[in-house]
Amino acid sequence: MNQDNQQSCSQLCNEAVFKAVFDSYFKLLRNFLIYKFKNIERAEDTAQNAFVILWENCGALKPEQAKRFLYTTAIRLSLNLIKHDKIVTNFELQSKPNETHQESPEFLLEETELKIRLEKAINDLPEKQRTVFLMNRMENQSYTEIASVLDLSVKAVEKRMHLALLSLRKVVKNV
Amino acid sequence: MKNENEHYLSDWLADKMSDDQLQQLVSSADFLAFQMIKKALNNYSVLEPNMERNFAAIKEKYATKKVTKTRNVIPMWSYAVAASLLLFFGLYQFYFFTNEVQTDFGFTKTIVLKDNSHVTLNSKSKISYPNLFQYNRNIRLEGEAFFEVQKGSSFTVITALGKVKVLGTKFNVGSFDDYFEVICYEGKVSVEVNKKVTILTKGESVRFYNATFENWADENGIKPLWITGENTFKNVPMKYVFAKFKNQYNVEVAFPKSVEDIKFTGSFTNANIETALKSICIPLHLKYSNTASRKIQISE
Repeated sequence: MNQDNQQSCSQLCNEAVFKAVFDSYFKLLRNFLIYKFKNIERAEDTAQNAFVILWENCGALKPEQAKRFLYTTAIRLSLNLIKHDKIVTNFELQSKPNETHQESPEFLLEETELKIRLEKAINDLPEKQRTVFLMNRMENQSYTEIASVLDLSVKAVEKRMHLALLSLRKVVKNV
Repeated sequence: MKNENEHYLSDWLADKMSDDQLQQLVSSADFLAFQMIKKALNNYSVLEPNMERNFAAIKEKYATKKVTKTRNVIPMWSYAVAASLLLFFGLYQFYFFTNEVQTDFGFTKTIVLKDNSHVTLNSKSKISYPNLFQYNRNIRLEGEAFFEVQKGSSFTVITALGKVKVLGTKFNVGSFDDYFEVICYEGKVSVEVNKKVTILTKGESVRFYNATFENWADENGIKPLWITGENTFKNVPMKYVFAKFKNQYNVEVAFPKSVEDIKFTGSFTNANIETALKSICIPLHLKYSNTASRKIQISE
């Protein structure tokens, strides 16, 4: 992508450039929406729609503006969605496939229990804390990056991280 | 170590604060819990997206959206604007041009308007005027009519070809297809055709047809003769004479093209078709077929 950025002006309409933008940002955007909606189908649908709108506006945008545009568009689209139905769904964590557990059954049981508790706690987090917290924890996005795409101050991001971890800590109280 | 009370956990999560530093800030139970959460979350991710399927879906959505794009491009407010324009023009038509008076073949009719102006319609003519005529003296005319206008605010006759504007006067307006004629019998009128304004005083008249513009001043009468049962013409091309004849008697008239532009001066009566035809044809040495049929053939 970085080489493409150098070429600048409305290369975005070029399908190869667009595909590169898709490869760089689709997963991030879609995951952000999963944290927001707690629902994979809705997140993917909204992320797709944001990319469609990006494509429609490709002539007016530079590739380096794409990321910010995608998040803004997706948030705008999700506002309409949430207004229309407020189906509560649950966020689920997946064990990373490369992690092979050679642990004792006891440990696995404990771990499963912790996973369930964490999932519930994450579900119960306020949306703003959940999105920021998971963007950082799941994808290692820096506070600065998160602040930039969500149009927040870094301080606000830090505050949300702090509060989110405090909330999660409550569910592991008795361990 | 500023802001330590506000968000020290975020610093710790971002490795800007060491485990030791955190341990000094929180209880050991808390520290263990935080560490467990941090570690546990590292083992998890969300389900990986199928990139190909998502990209295909984007392409498909883009294609289907493009088809209906022309419809989507019209913003909602433009429908509101269109609707209010329709409503506005509907109301405009309703308030301003609702009264309609029409004459059939061979009939004339005199109408007294609310401001006491008189309009006499020649045969096969039509006027329409607003409900609130006293305040908005605009009349639309198709065909021919003689106006005797009461003094007052401006009084306008609108035809397809031009406008006649007066204050208080007597005048005749004829508007047929591409022929437009105004004769002023009293007072002063202004005639507007194609943005060009001509002022007529008593006895003057103007006439427009094709690209011809004629203006002369020899009208001595006080009202047009058709009101008293006779249509008169001064130097008028035959095709307009026959057009008027058709309106009067409701018959078809077929004539050779060579006759079309011959100028006719004279008149015909509205009472008898045979006499009328004679007064048109004899001076020009034209022959005509049986008047009993609905179609009259003129020949040289």
